[in-house]
Amino acid sequence: MELTWYVLLGLFFGTYLVLGGYDYGVGLSLARNADPGRRRAALNAVGPFFLGNEVWLVAAVGILFGAFPVLEGELLSGLYPAVLGALAGVILVTAGVQLRSRPTHERVRARWDRVVVVGSALAALGWGALLAGLLQGVPRDTDGHVVGLSHLFTPFAAAAGLAMVALVAAHGATFLTLRLPTADAAPAGRLARRLLPVAITAVGAATVVGLLSERVRATAQQPLAGVLLAALLVTALLVARAALSRGRPGVAFAATAAALALPVALVGATLWPYVLVSTTDPGASLTVADAAASAPTLRLLGWLAMPLVPALLGFQLMCWWVFRGRTDGRAPVYW
Amino acid sequence: MDSLLLARLQFATTTSIHFLFVIVTLGLVTVLVGLQTAWVITGNPKYERLTRFWGQLYVINYVLGIATGIVMEFQFGLNWSGLSRYVGNVFGAPLAIETLVAFFLESTFLGMWIFGWHRLRRGVHLALLWGVALTAYASAFWILVANSWLQNPVGYEVRDGVAHLTDFPALLTNPTLGMAFGHVVSAALLTAGVLMAAVSAGHLIRRTTDYALHRTALRIGLVTAALSITMVQGFGFAQFAPVGSVQPTKFGGGDEAQATIAEWTTRFGPGDYTPPVLASAGLGFMIMIGFTLGLLWLLVPLLWRDWIIRLRFPLWLLLLALPLPFVAAILGWIAREVGRQPWIAYGLLPVDQAVSPVGAPVMLTSLIGFSLLLGTLAVTNWVLMARHAARGALDPALGRPPGQPLHLRTEPTFA
Repeated sequence: MELTWYVLLGLFFGTYLVLGGYDYGVGLSLARNADPGRRRAALNAVGPFFLGNEVWLVAAVGILFGAFPVLEGELLSGLYPAVLGALAGVILVTAGVQLRSRPTHERVRARWDRVVVVGSALAALGWGALLAGLLQGVPRDTDGHVVGLSHLFTPFAAAAGLAMVALVAAHGATFLTLRLPTADAAPAGRLARRLLPVAITAVGAATVVGLLSERVRATAQQPLAGVLLAALLVTALLVARAALSRGRPGVAFAATAAALALPVALVGATLWPYVLVSTTDPGASLTVADAAASAPTLRLLGWLAMPLVPALLGFQLMCWWVFRGRTDGRAPVYW
Repeated sequence: MDSLLLARLQFATTTSIHFLFVIVTLGLVTVLVGLQTAWVITGNPKYERLTRFWGQLYVINYVLGIATGIVMEFQFGLNWSGLSRYVGNVFGAPLAIETLVAFFLESTFLGMWIFGWHRLRRGVHLALLWGVALTAYASAFWILVANSWLQNPVGYEVRDGVAHLTDFPALLTNPTLGMAFGHVVSAALLTAGVLMAAVSAGHLIRRTTDYALHRTALRIGLVTAALSITMVQGFGFAQFAPVGSVQPTKFGGGDEAQATIAEWTTRFGPGDYTPPVLASAGLGFMIMIGFTLGLLWLLVPLLWRDWIIRLRFPLWLLLLALPLPFVAAILGWIAREVGRQPWIAYGLLPVDQAVSPVGAPVMLTSLIGFSLLLGTLAVTNWVLMARHAARGALDPALGRPPGQPLHLRTEPTFA
């Protein structure tokens, strides 16, 4: 029962990183685009999916609260600075994307676009640091509280945050290659091909820093799984690079999407059977079963989720299907 | 300043800003469903234009509802980790249900609705808006289930200091839930009605183009507001008995309150168990505003032969009434939430045991940071809404046929 919910939690947060990831990647790409028309086209390429992408985060936190209440409190308050940064970023992107075209002057719109760029960077940094914070463990007491906040500020957390920024940037550019009209897709494809090696380097660097960190080595329960999944992540990025060179943006996007989902799987697998490992007292580490809500709550949520999750997926699929293909002159423009 | 006070201030600030937008979202989507349904059934282009104009204002307003809502959701874990630790098994369930059943679908549908104009078949497009409205109501319901549980914890038993769920239906029949849900929903309709009437009154005062359009919106808004203020009052007064019986300390002294406080003193030790006076002050002012808005009924007969427009001063009254429902909504929440102090879950978990063990400096940074961020965004959002409301219904970006040049005009066009 707990395992099902743990997988579901990972699925929702992973899907959020994949879908929200290209929102933030497209957001970052605005920084490199001086032409207002192109910036607007990039945002409207995300267009109909934007609102449906962010809800995966809200649902993931809902599952976290409902099915893993203890973890919710410890994780969010224990990694306060990372969550704060990510949250500020998410809000800036949400407001920036939806409001940027409401003023009519291009100068004001350009200012909103800068808000989107900053927000995208903050969100990616924050989520990267949060995942790193899980991997390097937290100083959790036997009384169940995470002590202090300075434990988060390590070279590994910084490297993981930057790697996440590079990952979403490459993912976003790949999304634009797939979605923009053919004429505009070429520059996006060039950008993606330049960004992918950067992402590979950043992920590689984060992996090396992680392997060198004593805390990460002590926290990892299944180090082999961690190393394998990191290698798989790099492979996915290499596949994306090769696919882009061969003019296969669809394959490339699938590969970068996998690369965004893999960090969640990596953290879950490496820590198993724990979710929150204590660096100070092994007895204070939290297993998946400890963190889960009690049986009646999980049963209730289970009865609800069984018909619901397929419905949620169905409506998201409907959205992707209705607005599939490249944007063109007939596509609605609102953001 | 201690972390507890800072955490409470942050909750109060975020929730208040959140609710100012949520109340418009919930009310306006109901009116929009009516407008778009009327358009699809009658084919009258007036209703299409009303849907686009008011839909645009609705969508702008929605932005801040999400932004503040996300902060709300995270805030429980960030600042109130004790809440999830001790009562998360029960309190977390309705919140999880809300995100999955309601909010997830609401946003997915809304994204398709915004971008679905001229692309989806009319029936499908209308169905999406119905979906947005139904999930918005579901959202309000589940959030109130969660809030009502904090007001009056039911359906649980405490084992090893942690609450476990024993009786889920009890959460749904909570005496603090039913009337409160009716009260909130009708307050949302009231706010949307007053907003529509006030914006239309502004256009009619300035004699902008589209007289017929704004006249219709004025009538819809005023009738909606008048009907809902009566419901607001009814559901409001109907709450006194059930709430007073499960929360004896909420509305001040009395023997029952003294008995409850004596019982808590033996169980939890001595302490200040009376809620701050702010709660009852908020309640008093809210009731005053409620009675003032009841006077909206006096304007309804003036709809006959458009006397309301011809006399002009009723239009000014409607414009001036615009802040009232918002102020009343905040005061109402202050009465409900401050009235349960010092408890986070009434009679079960005191606030000082629920606050996260986070230092005051971090809490202060978070309070100032998020208040500034959300406050700035809220003001910007209202400025944008006011500009779009003033610009009129000539060419809202929402539902504009695709293929038109992006930079159609740089100045608002007032006739």
